[in-house]
Amino acid sequence: MSRPRYTIVPTDRLLWTAGVVTGASLPHWPKLPLWVPLLLGLCILWRLAAKLPRWPLPNRTLRILFAFGAFLGVLLEYGTINGVEAGSALLIVMVALKFLESHSQRDQIILVILAYFLVFASLLTERSIAVAVYLLAFVWITTAGLLQMGRHRTLLPSWPTAKLAARLLLQSVPIMLVLFLLFPRLPGPLWALPGNTSSGATGLSDTMSPGDITNLGLSDEIAFRVQFLTPPPRASELYWRGPVLSQFNGRTWFRRPGMGRQVINTLEVTGEPTEYRVMLEPNGRNWLFALDMPQSWTPIGRRNVIMNSDHQLQAFGLPPALNRIDYGVTSYTTYTAKEPLTPADQQWYTQLPEGSNPRTRALASSWLADDPTPETVIERALDVFRGPDFFYTLTPPALGMHSADEFIFETHEGFCEHYASALAIMLRAAGLPTRVVTGYQGGELNGFGDYYIVRQMDAHAWTEVWLGDRGWVRIDPVSAVAPERIAFGSLRSSAREVLGLRGLSRLPWMRQALLLWDAVNVRWNEWVIGYGPQLQRSLLQYLGLESAGWRSLLTLAVVGTVALLVTLTVYLGWTSHRHRRGDRAARSFARFARKLEAARVRPPLQGEGPQAYARHAAVELPRAAGEIAAIVGSYLAARYEPDADGAALADLEHRVAQFRVAT
Amino acid sequence: MLAALTETLSNRAAAWALRRQGRDSRLVTLERRRLYILPTRFGFAFGFAVFAMLLGSLQYGASLAFALTFLLASLGLVIMHHCHNNLLGTQVRFAGALPVFAGQPAMFRIALDNTATAVRYDVEIEHEGNCVGPVDIAAGHSATLEVPVPTAARGWLGLPRFAIATRYPGSLFRAWTWVHMSGRCLVYPAPAPPGRPIPMSVDTHGTRGMPAEDDSDFVGLRPAADTDPPGRMAWKAYARTDQLMLKQFSGAAEVPSTLDWDSLPELGVEARLAQLARWCLDAAADRRNFGLKLPTTTVPVGGGDQHLHACLEALALFESPQ
Repeated sequence: MSRPRYTIVPTDRLLWTAGVVTGASLPHWPKLPLWVPLLLGLCILWRLAAKLPRWPLPNRTLRILFAFGAFLGVLLEYGTINGVEAGSALLIVMVALKFLESHSQRDQIILVILAYFLVFASLLTERSIAVAVYLLAFVWITTAGLLQMGRHRTLLPSWPTAKLAARLLLQSVPIMLVLFLLFPRLPGPLWALPGNTSSGATGLSDTMSPGDITNLGLSDEIAFRVQFLTPPPRASELYWRGPVLSQFNGRTWFRRPGMGRQVINTLEVTGEPTEYRVMLEPNGRNWLFALDMPQSWTPIGRRNVIMNSDHQLQAFGLPPALNRIDYGVTSYTTYTAKEPLTPADQQWYTQLPEGSNPRTRALASSWLADDPTPETVIERALDVFRGPDFFYTLTPPALGMHSADEFIFETHEGFCEHYASALAIMLRAAGLPTRVVTGYQGGELNGFGDYYIVRQMDAHAWTEVWLGDRGWVRIDPVSAVAPERIAFGSLRSSAREVLGLRGLSRLPWMRQALLLWDAVNVRWNEWVIGYGPQLQRSLLQYLGLESAGWRSLLTLAVVGTVALLVTLTVYLGWTSHRHRRGDRAARSFARFARKLEAARVRPPLQGEGPQAYARHAAVELPRAAGEIAAIVGSYLAARYEPDADGAALADLEHRVAQFRVAT
Repeated sequence: MLAALTETLSNRAAAWALRRQGRDSRLVTLERRRLYILPTRFGFAFGFAVFAMLLGSLQYGASLAFALTFLLASLGLVIMHHCHNNLLGTQVRFAGALPVFAGQPAMFRIALDNTATAVRYDVEIEHEGNCVGPVDIAAGHSATLEVPVPTAARGWLGLPRFAIATRYPGSLFRAWTWVHMSGRCLVYPAPAPPGRPIPMSVDTHGTRGMPAEDDSDFVGLRPAADTDPPGRMAWKAYARTDQLMLKQFSGAAEVPSTLDWDSLPELGVEARLAQLARWCLDAAADRRNFGLKLPTTTVPVGGGDQHLHACLEALALFESPQ
């Protein structure tokens, strides 16, 4: 089929596609290497400039070189072309080069479809409401672009096209909702993801090197949210347990290798249980945070959650959390974590590298000579930090090789990691099995949503010492220096003051607004972002369809879609129903004209309006003049005025049927 | 090769549609049962993109990505319905075809009436790989498209099967219907190249023909009114300009001659007809009155366009079954 082709692309078409691809790629820009958006801008400008006389487009060889260079650039930048980030970069590069050589309707429609794909690529990783709203608005503009590029000749005016695009999208929304809710959601990915998880890993790491300054504690980023189903514990009891570090090389603490195995839970609990639900932000790890000490928990989907021998919850078989996950836990804040330590274990937990931190070790050994009872040793170790020289700061000086020695005897400045590490070294030197626990401490109550927000700035480290029958006992050296940090979680404000950050969020109303916004976000995360296999099952249960397998779900989705499409057909037919009424009016009027013709009135002339014709007929048939005027009146009303109940049409048909010309 | 395959399939389908819906009258309303719809290549590209998005959403389990995927899938379905609705209820009329000489394309005029309350965008007529249009038809308005059909032989040419199609909105789908409408166009014989002079006929009654009317001297055109005699309409001008004009003449005497079949014994049938057509045109161009004598029929001496048309029609239909 030969179709009219334009050899010169009109500028308005180029501008439309330029706008659509630029807007669709915009949310990617912050994550891209700078040259990718620059390339896109360059290609767009070059293509537009080619509308000017004597400004040539690059020839074929140059274009191939461009394409090859850009592809190589992406490959070098990311080391792969797989994965969301590299894929998006490649897509934008392709769009840029396609734009440069766009010269037909086909190219422009392909560009619009690629723009949809760019929006999609953003949505794979973006979760915030603002970005979602922007992208949805952009789908609207892209759809208007599709309508425009689908035109064969001149473009339509922009605003009616935008309105039509909005109508089409609004009519699509019900079907989308049916598919969204009912299309079977599968737990887990279809195939293994390429391993670029390190970029997704945020928050705590699995090593700790006091002396290497970290800014972890300053990030406002949310680690997880917690909703308590029972009365929440006091702030000083909110220790959210994470990775446990028990191997020390003199500078850095590591996790004990091979600790993924599950051990017999030796927890003895007293007091009231605390039940809560954790909504964990994606962190690229399989760690689950729980309040010290978790006693029971729910699985995540079909994946089991286990507690490893460090008393840390981990989700095995789950890909590193790239999505939010949601789990319930029951913890007891009063507990005894007994664990029979073998001599090998005891040696592991007291191991210190030869020759490291000699002064600290000498100090601890001197206490043993005085009084070897563990309680006394611990008390004396904490006394070290209670000295007037020690203070808590987020900007400590960097430390050298013997970090604990320098911290205890020279600098006296540090934050949780320094204290926890130094305490662990002292206790180990005194022969007490000790380990460092990392995690979060505290949390901020959001009154709007009745839940707690735990941020990266709440990251914390403390120590656990093994005291035989009493098991592992938590000792937080920070409570010795900065008890308010533990009691009120007030580090948050002091950290801000130290750094002069977040001045705005100290205004009470601003704080309230931010909390409200977070509450909206939580609902959004819970019901929209979090809509997956679990929520779908709950929805089906609510609908009484809990036994529905994925086949019946798919059938249900298809049936719903078809039903909605039939509704759409009826609706479209109904909106064009008025014209049938108009048809009937025209037929009726034609019948009237034939009756007049039989009475020797000439038929209406070409282009003669009904009123002019009626005047002519009334002159010819003066006795029927009144009835002729009435018929024309009803005809005009039925045809050109809103005639919702069809009264005018009925009147017209009746009058025409009754019309007789007296001879 | 692919094009040939598509054409074969398309012809088969059209033949099937003809068996199914029968021949059409001169006024057809496009009903639901005769409208067909298929995705275009852009529709397939769009569908492929949505499918890829579905796989991506499943892979990443990203809820918003699912939402966009399903929104676009629904959008495709909604666009399909709008595309279908863009043609549904359109009235198609055969609005005549002016006679042409063999070799010139016959222009069949097809009127599309939009009786709906919304604009019908991008409606086009496709015939034998040619596209006419697309046109936008405002609510309550009509558009007339001329479908060119090549002609080779004189005589009646039937309106061939054509398709009315639309790709609006978005060019993702093409909705179409085949129309097998009765309608015909008269094809005059292609005139012979000019040069051979008109032989003066011998008047057997010994008198020269009188001027047929007092109006043989053409002076100009004026817009026609309905009451004017059709014989004096400027039909050729109508074909060019779409406006019906009346020829005005001032009286002048003219010597008539009769163009005779028998005066060209050396030529074959078609060549004779071609030469006679040439003479008719020459005589009309000179504004001379003339008659035409064929073995089967005779057109009396006369002048003017209507007369020329009668002569050319006689030539066109000479020994033809109709």
